[in-house]
Amino acid sequence: MTGLTLALSKGRILDESLPLLEHVGIAPAGDIDRLLRVPSTRADVSLVMIRPADVPTYVEHGAADLGIVGKDVLMEHGGSDLYEPLDIGIAQCRMSVAAVKGYVAPRNRRLRIATKYPEIARRFYAARGEQVEIIKLYGSMELAPLVGLADQIVDLVATGNTLRANGLVEVEKICDISSRLVVNKASMKMKHAAIQHLIDAFRDADAKRVRAS
Amino acid sequence: MAIKRWMLPDGMEEALPPVSWQLEDLRRKLLDHYRAARYELIFPPMIEHLDALLTGAGSDLEQQIFKFTDPASGRLLGLRADMTPQAARIAARRYADQDSVRLCYLGTVLRTSPDSQGGPRSPRQVGCELFGEPGIEADLEILRLMLDTIQLAGVANVHLDLGHVGIYRALASKLALDEDEQATLFDILQRKSHPDLAEFAASSQRLNGLAPTFSALIDLNGDVSVLERARHALVGADDGLADALATLQKAASALQAQFPTVPVHVDLAELRGLQYHTGLVFAAFVPGHGREIARGGRYDGVGHEFGRPRAATGFSADMNELIRLGA
Repeated sequence: MTGLTLALSKGRILDESLPLLEHVGIAPAGDIDRLLRVPSTRADVSLVMIRPADVPTYVEHGAADLGIVGKDVLMEHGGSDLYEPLDIGIAQCRMSVAAVKGYVAPRNRRLRIATKYPEIARRFYAARGEQVEIIKLYGSMELAPLVGLADQIVDLVATGNTLRANGLVEVEKICDISSRLVVNKASMKMKHAAIQHLIDAFRDADAKRVRAS
Repeated sequence: MAIKRWMLPDGMEEALPPVSWQLEDLRRKLLDHYRAARYELIFPPMIEHLDALLTGAGSDLEQQIFKFTDPASGRLLGLRADMTPQAARIAARRYADQDSVRLCYLGTVLRTSPDSQGGPRSPRQVGCELFGEPGIEADLEILRLMLDTIQLAGVANVHLDLGHVGIYRALASKLALDEDEQATLFDILQRKSHPDLAEFAASSQRLNGLAPTFSALIDLNGDVSVLERARHALVGADDGLADALATLQKAASALQAQFPTVPVHVDLAELRGLQYHTGLVFAAFVPGHGREIARGGRYDGVGHEFGRPRAATGFSADMNELIRLGA
């Protein structure tokens, strides 16, 4: 009961998490490509590998004590049922609005927005008083404006290469995105010393990374 | 079609043997215990006028109430989502002539959305409220009853979390924040988000140089030594802050003396129920369960809303959950 479970987001965030975890003295002790749950080189920490969008749910319910997850997922998930004490600076990108190059907004109807992030898109357009239709998609956002499914897309942009390759341009940045350390509220209260220790270690590792770059 | 007909709506709970008997046994034990502590039992109605249910309760509760119109009067009615405001109404109207009132209650409340994804929308709420006693002894009496309740349900390894909303209020009162900014700051503190606090401080000049103080507040959680750290970290604080820290210190010392085996955690940025709480707030946790299992605190402002200003403190818990955890 005293051990800690750390949830890691599969994919790009995992690739960038591992070097940071090493600085904290944690390395997976098992085949993380196949296994969903592996012990780590620290006896008191075990790791679970899950889809990024599921990390907040696991941590909120206490199925994991801590997690590493993108700010995009946290913003879309919403609510204040998690602590997010630290930005660990990895998997940096931005949430942006993009459209076909030379695009002009239609005047006679509502904008159609394709996105994997309906909540973020809704909040963004609502904040500027714009009523829009949101179309939830699960991938290949860039296609939607090309085939007339949507006027604009709201999506993560890292380099902008995919956008450019498909003839789209970034119209506006909504916010910067990077990964955060999140903590279950009950764990923070009941395993405080162990968790605070880990947060401090991540903070040091992040500071070192920033100095090195 | 046949399957659909027998399914219960999401989050609606029913109790069947043996759990129903366990609930009944616990109900008897709890009410006997409260009665021995001289708490009066009340059975508030399932339905009240919406404005009465919302009095002094804050907008969080409004979204939680199932609402409909009374065909007889045309007024908006609500199904109770929390019995605390009902107890406050009864204390203010029926017991207005008494200096202090002790009430206990037990019954199902209904909520439009569960506290956690997939959770119950029909908790069996049990609780005690103590009106008219402003001192720390009243808070401790309620804390004791909360711990007794958990223990009688057979739930072991309880951890206590203590906070005091007066600390945040004392700091926030030094800032001229509009409603949106207050909501943003509140949300940031609830998530203990250092990165979002830094961003907020950069985008708005309203934090006036108090950004480092709020940043310190986020980290002021841990064992009781937090209170000592707070005295140094929250400099420039006024009397409200010193009072709050003194109250927390007294509560923590008393708890350690009376419940030496219960670990006490202090979290000065814990703002649960900020909308109506005014002083000491607390919650109980158990290992392996990601959320609090019982909660309470001081809410001295509510009596005023019902026309009888009076100190108040209380706790509540979900009996269904206690039974699940105690089994």
